[in-house]
Amino acid sequence: MIELKNVTKQYGSLTAVDDVSFSVKAGESFALLGPNGAGKTTIVKLLLDFARPTAGRLTINGIPTSKPECRTAIGYLAENHRIPAGLSGWNYLLRCAELLDIRQTAAEDQCRRIVEQIGMQGREHTKAGTYSKGMIQRFGLGAALLGEPKLLILDEPTSGLDPIGIRETRQLLESLKGQGMTVFLNSHLLSEVEKICDSAAIINRGRLLVKDTISAIVRDGETLEDVFVRLVKG
Amino acid sequence: MKTSKMLPSIARIAKFTFTDEVRQKSFVIMFIFCVLCVFLLRGCYHGNYMVNGQTLDAATVVKALSKVTFHVIGAGVMVITALFSMRIFRRDRSEGLQSCILSKPIVRWQYVTGKIIGLWVLSALFMFILHGIIFLVSSVNLQIFMPEYLVASLLCSVNLLFVVLAVLLLSLLMPDIVAFLCVLAVGVVGFVADGIAAVSQSQIVQTLIQQPGSGLQSEVTWWKVVYIVWPKLLGVQQSATSLLGNEPILGFATLYPFLNVLLYCLILGALLFWRFRKEDLI
Repeated sequence: MIELKNVTKQYGSLTAVDDVSFSVKAGESFALLGPNGAGKTTIVKLLLDFARPTAGRLTINGIPTSKPECRTAIGYLAENHRIPAGLSGWNYLLRCAELLDIRQTAAEDQCRRIVEQIGMQGREHTKAGTYSKGMIQRFGLGAALLGEPKLLILDEPTSGLDPIGIRETRQLLESLKGQGMTVFLNSHLLSEVEKICDSAAIINRGRLLVKDTISAIVRDGETLEDVFVRLVKG
Repeated sequence: MKTSKMLPSIARIAKFTFTDEVRQKSFVIMFIFCVLCVFLLRGCYHGNYMVNGQTLDAATVVKALSKVTFHVIGAGVMVITALFSMRIFRRDRSEGLQSCILSKPIVRWQYVTGKIIGLWVLSALFMFILHGIIFLVSSVNLQIFMPEYLVASLLCSVNLLFVVLAVLLLSLLMPDIVAFLCVLAVGVVGFVADGIAAVSQSQIVQTLIQQPGSGLQSEVTWWKVVYIVWPKLLGVQQSATSLLGNEPILGFATLYPFLNVLLYCLILGALLFWRFRKEDLI
């Protein structure tokens, strides 16, 4: 589903991503891990064509990421998601549905279902300016689910959520995974990743350190956190 | 991507740009302030002007006055348009709208086109409403109808397109306020240069030029070339207002400012699309 081949991204003299290659299969739940500034968000930006690679090739379903067609079945949640303060969560979801060319009645049905899924009933018509960070994050996740995407790209989806919100998001992601959706997760919460994901890649300073199934990465008696610290520090 | 899918996306982005801007408090305040200022001019439209004990023809007075207000409104709306446009990309980025739109199957040029159209329609409507108030005041107070006033307003919207494109392009290259000031400077220089050119066409200056040894010759100089190719924003307004006074249409001289500004719009538009295509979105 997702394929990166020798991808490099440079910002001036800084190499944010350095010759990274990996692939994610359809239906797989994948986590991209790394310390701050490792290049995770840059990889997400490259996948969405928000930035262009200096070298290498990225494809989604075999289509180069530079083509808009490859984004037809992608749901995306940005790190520190934001909603214009003057819009309500409901109007924001409707606007996203309109951008996806979903018809008015179908969009309203989908939005109603999604508001329930993200647990925001009763608050959807309030202006986003009054929302907490966690609530904005939930609406962002809701917007990513519009149009029944086949691939979800989530950049720090639990950022700003309280423990209950984190648990609910995990349950939601597990149910989506059960429905065969491919999940590309960019997260710091290693314990959550361990529970949700089938496979993971760890990068540091733009370089890929490991890419394998979680069970293959984590040895007996170790946690994902132990492996992460060992690889990043070592 | 099919054209049938491209056009609705552009229209939607234009609609969102329009509604988001109208929702801003600063826009509402600015709009109300401008409408009130234009309404204050209604006192000038009473038709009782007397010079040396003679009553002047109301239609002549109204046309002369309306020309002045036309230019003032046109120039004022250009400044306001530059103010709206300078923060568009930054606000979309900070409110997460840019990543929200571009993570969908929407191409960057569609996004930029939607932004341009949204801003242009908004500013043209803003100017049209202000000009429309003058039209209504003269129609109601003096029963003088000037439909050509509204046509001239629509023609002048070419200037607003120029401002939108210039500010959007410059805001990608420099801080927003600097982009605004640069476009303002282009406008001010153009207005001053056109003013000097108008003065130089006056009889007194022409007489001076023709005096032997006055030093002012009609040879081609670099500053004359710069003057001719400089964006003719005031020229567009003057050409549009020639509709008001039943002035003779001077052929290419009337048409040139429009061609000049339209050519600039094409160049700025091409540069804007090219620059935004290369932009890394944050």
